[in-house]
Amino acid sequence: MRKSRLFFSLVILLLLIAITVFFLFPILLAIMNSFKTQGEMFKSVIEWPKTLHWDNYKYVLTEAHLPRSLYNTFVITFLSIVGIVVCSALAGYKLSRTPGKLSSAIFFLFLASMLIPFYSIMFSLIQISTKLHIDGSIYRLPLVYIGLGVNFAVFLYHGFVKSVPRELEESAQMDGCGQLQTFVRIIFPLLIPITMTIVILDILWVWNDFMLPLIMITNYKSYTLVLLASTFFSQYSNEWSYILSILILASLPVILIYLIFQRYIVKGIADGAVKG
Amino acid sequence: MYRTLRAKPWLSLLAFTAPALLFYAVFLLIPTIGGIFYSFTDWNGLFRNYHFVGFGNYVEAFTSDSRFVYSLFYTLKYVVAIVILQNVIGLLLAVLVESRMRTKSLFRTLFFLPNMFSVYISTLMWTFIFSTVLPQLAEKTFLHFLDQPWLGSSSMAFVSILLVSVWQGAGYLMVIYIAALQGVPQDLQEAATIDGATPFRRFIHIVLPMIMPAITVCLFLTLNGSFKIFEVVYALTGGGPGYSTEVIAFNIYQEGFARDLRYGYATAKAMILFVIILIITVTQVSVLKKREVEA
Repeated sequence: MRKSRLFFSLVILLLLIAITVFFLFPILLAIMNSFKTQGEMFKSVIEWPKTLHWDNYKYVLTEAHLPRSLYNTFVITFLSIVGIVVCSALAGYKLSRTPGKLSSAIFFLFLASMLIPFYSIMFSLIQISTKLHIDGSIYRLPLVYIGLGVNFAVFLYHGFVKSVPRELEESAQMDGCGQLQTFVRIIFPLLIPITMTIVILDILWVWNDFMLPLIMITNYKSYTLVLLASTFFSQYSNEWSYILSILILASLPVILIYLIFQRYIVKGIADGAVKG
Repeated sequence: MYRTLRAKPWLSLLAFTAPALLFYAVFLLIPTIGGIFYSFTDWNGLFRNYHFVGFGNYVEAFTSDSRFVYSLFYTLKYVVAIVILQNVIGLLLAVLVESRMRTKSLFRTLFFLPNMFSVYISTLMWTFIFSTVLPQLAEKTFLHFLDQPWLGSSSMAFVSILLVSVWQGAGYLMVIYIAALQGVPQDLQEAATIDGATPFRRFIHIVLPMIMPAITVCLFLTLNGSFKIFEVVYALTGGGPGYSTEVIAFNIYQEGFARDLRYGYATAKAMILFVIILIITVTQVSVLKKREVEA
């Protein structure tokens, strides 16, 4: 019995290692080859690089204006998340606390929109954004992300507020605290756990998004990292050493966030799924 | 100010929801209504004027656009394959990871990692693997079976698309399934073990019914997501060879941006996609929800 159990455990371990190889394989090869010259790669892509050749990274950082794209992506992500959190926390809290038809109707409006595929609104969204002069500006594009992101965040806040006791806000209002003040001072701090979930899910969404930048951003100066990778791929389709180093650099920030906040991310996804 | 707000709850409701509603209305609600409206017109990105064509776009999509009908069935084939694969593999990973003691969080971290990458970026990494790495591996090592037209033949391209999708998505489902598995009461399992149930039977009769809610959610997520697949096809095959790997979303994108900029027609196709997703996911959720109650 004990022997067979040990054997079983060993088989599972080997299986897990095999799966790990599959999951890490493309990432590892991308990293390895981003340190090779084009000639070295041509000879062999599967060997370790003989020396760490940093020129691809230098080229990408200077010639491809990668720092500018990094800044653009950061600004777009940051503004979008701040906007989504502020708008949705206010709305989700109030909708959850107010009974009545108007409140349910508004909540239903948010809820019902969650299944709409982006492609169904894509063309009229472009039209409206042109009229509003969004023009793929990194300071105005977040407005679109807020519009697309509030429904799910309102939904999560709405569910979470139910578990927050009412006594605190009632006593605050007795003491003469205004509604907005009560929200900022008393309620919002209690919503931090669900806010973390929303922030994480939305960072991953906006930072990694491809479709919206692809159709909205035409000016090279406003390119996000993913869009930059896409242009590089079409320009240098066979010079993989450059493309790979862009792919690595573009992914590095989210990977760092993942390694630091892994616990929250995993919890956020499990929670978001159960409530969604 | 607050006296009025307190006296009229609907006023304060509107005040609190106004910012969210404003953004929602401008960038989601109005474009949706606009989308429905334009799907009945011949709106073209190049011209200002458009005309009503009634159900013309919808009729055209089903009757004279064989490429669209092909993409519809191709997407359906992909959805069936990927929903099964992702969920089976996601659940399997969860069970394997949960069975470890000390290495549990290490493997979870590793398997979830692909999810952090942008789908577009990780697909480009895979393009590199398929186009450059695997041919060399087949040539220089004993792994000769890797010498395949990974992106060159339509049947292998389908396999490649599935492979990349599983690589990207399985870890996400694994995380949800792990949370569900952790919610299965330990004493139920122990009781069954004492009664002589094998691990396999324990899994079928105790664990599976207990994690039904997670299965409902994961099926919903994969169904809803896989119908909208775009980046993987865009970056990996570009719809090719020919248009053999063209999925609906890619067909819509091509119609709107690459071919004749027929925005109205492309929107009508997107509305067809919407209706399909709506019918299938609503059916799936309501059927499985009933199961949950019975279990």
